[in-house]
Amino acid sequence: MYSAQITRANPTCIVLLIDQSASMSDPFSGDSARKKSEFVAEVVNHTLHDLVIRCTKTEEVRNYYHIAVIGYGRKVWSGFGGPLAAREIVPIADVADHPLQIKSSYRRVSDGAAGWVEIPVRYPVWIHPMADGKTPMVEALTRVKQILERWLGEHPQGFPPTVLHLTDGESSDGEPYDAGREIMSLGTNDGSVLLFNCHISSRRSAKVEYPADEHSLPDGFARTLFQISSPLPHSFQAAAAQLGVHTIEGSRGFVFNGDPSSIVQFYEIGTSLTGMTPYRWMDQEITEPE
Amino acid sequence: MSSARQSSTWGLRTQQVLLPKSGSESSECEDFIGVDEQNCRFAVADGATEAFDARNWAQRLAENWVRSDSPLTPEAFHSWVAAEGVALHSSWRQMTLPWYAEEKARSGSFAAFVGLELDLNTEQPAWKAVALGDSCLLHCRDGALIKSLPLSNSASFNSAPLLVASEPSIYKTSEQSLVIDSGNCENNDVLFLLSDAAAAWYLERFEQNTFSDFFAHHDQTALAEFFENERRTGRIRNDDIAVMRLEIQQRSIS
Repeated sequence: MYSAQITRANPTCIVLLIDQSASMSDPFSGDSARKKSEFVAEVVNHTLHDLVIRCTKTEEVRNYYHIAVIGYGRKVWSGFGGPLAAREIVPIADVADHPLQIKSSYRRVSDGAAGWVEIPVRYPVWIHPMADGKTPMVEALTRVKQILERWLGEHPQGFPPTVLHLTDGESSDGEPYDAGREIMSLGTNDGSVLLFNCHISSRRSAKVEYPADEHSLPDGFARTLFQISSPLPHSFQAAAAQLGVHTIEGSRGFVFNGDPSSIVQFYEIGTSLTGMTPYRWMDQEITEPE
Repeated sequence: MSSARQSSTWGLRTQQVLLPKSGSESSECEDFIGVDEQNCRFAVADGATEAFDARNWAQRLAENWVRSDSPLTPEAFHSWVAAEGVALHSSWRQMTLPWYAEEKARSGSFAAFVGLELDLNTEQPAWKAVALGDSCLLHCRDGALIKSLPLSNSASFNSAPLLVASEPSIYKTSEQSLVIDSGNCENNDVLFLLSDAAAAWYLERFEQNTFSDFFAHHDQTALAEFFENERRTGRIRNDDIAVMRLEIQQRSIS
C-alpha cells in the first residue's frame, strides 16, 4: 500500500483545502505584523511551485499530479484564480502555465568558494490571501469528497489522493467527523485517500504534532480532527524524519495549535509522496523583491 | 598518449548493451556509454531523471571524458567537470525558457558517472577508475568479484545518490563522495561498467552466488533480449540499462 509509482498514466491527486474565514486575517501569536492568511498563501504558492518543479523535465512539465485548491469562508470556492478558477482539478502542467502573476526577486546562494552571490529568481503566484466569512468546514469537506469521487472514477489505480486541510478554527456548519470519514473511505487499489489536517492558532498554546493517540489533545474539536486524520504511511514518516520531525508508528497526519514552521513542514511532509525528497525552499535565503 | 596504452602483449574484447527503460524510446534513454579504444578509456554516465537536460549532461560526461587526457585525480576531475559544466550551461543561454524550466536549470544538471582507464602497455595490465554516484565498476576474475566501486552491495542503491553536478557550488558538495581507485589485471579478467539498475542486478547475482558471465556467449540482440526478460520478471528494476564489458586478453605470440 502507498507504494504505487506515480506516472503520467497513473497520476495522483493532491487537494489543498484552505480555511479562508475572517479569522484568518488575524496574526499569529507573537507576530503582529503577519496575517495567517498571508503566510498560508505564501506557503501554498511555494508548495505549488515545488510540485511544478518536481514534474519539470527540461522544458516540459509532466502530469504526475492533478491538483485541486479549494478555499472556504464566505462560500466554498476554487482557490485558484484566473483561467484555472473554473476547473475542479487541474493537471500540474496547466498549473505551471497559468499562475496569476510571476514575481521577480533575488536569491542569495553560495558561490562555491567562501562567498555568496545573488541570482535572479521568479516566483509564480496562484493564490492571493483571502479571509472572509465563517468556517463552513462540512460543506468544504463534502465538496472535496464529491471532487475525489469523480476523479477516482477515472483513476481507480495508482497512488491514492492526498488532501491537505488547513484551518484555524472550529467548523461553523456542524461536526466535520462524518464528512471527513467519508473522504477517508475512498481510495484506489494502492490505498485509502490520505486526509491530513493542520490546525493553526492565534493563541499561545502548546502545539501537538503528528500524535499517535488522542491523550495529549486538549478538547473535543482536536479529537475530532485527529479522528479524521489518516495515519502517516512509512514514506511520509521518512520525509518527516528528513525535516527533523519526530513521528512514530501510528502517527496521524495531524497538527493542532500549529505555528508558522508547523505549516511549512505540514505541506512538505504532505506532498512528499512516495519517497520524493521535499524541496527545501525554506533553506534558501531570499532578498528584497524587485 | 592514447596509443601508449595499447600493447602488443595485451588486447581487449569489448561488448556493450544500452537499453532505454521499458516503454520508452531510445531517444529518451539517459544512460550513455563512452568508448575510446585508442585512448583506452571507457565510461558510463546516467543522467538523473529529475534533473534539467540530464540526457545531454550524461552524454557529454561519457563521450568527452573518454576522449580527454585529464588525469585521474580529484583536482583534475574537478577542473574537467567544471569546464564541461560551463559548456553545458552555455548551451542553455540561447534557449527561451518558461519560468519552471528556468528555475530547474538554475540548479544545473546531474548524472552518475564511472570512468575507466586501462594501461595495457605493461607486463601486467592495470586500471584506474573514477566514479561518483551509483554507476559502478566491477572487476571479476574466474567468475568471482574482486572489486566493486563506488558501491559494493546491492542494498546500497537508493534513489538519492550524490551525483556529478554541472553547477560548481553543488559539485563541490558532492565531490566528497568521489571515488578514485586502481588495480591490476590478469589474463581473462573481466571489467564491467554499469549504470545503477544493472549494477544492483550484478551485485545481487554475486551475493547469491548465481553469477554467470553470459555475455561471453551472446550477441548484441540476445543480450538485449536477456535484459528485457530480466526486467519483465522483476529481477531487474525498470530503468535505463547501460552495460560495458571489457575482457583482458593476452595476445598469442606467433
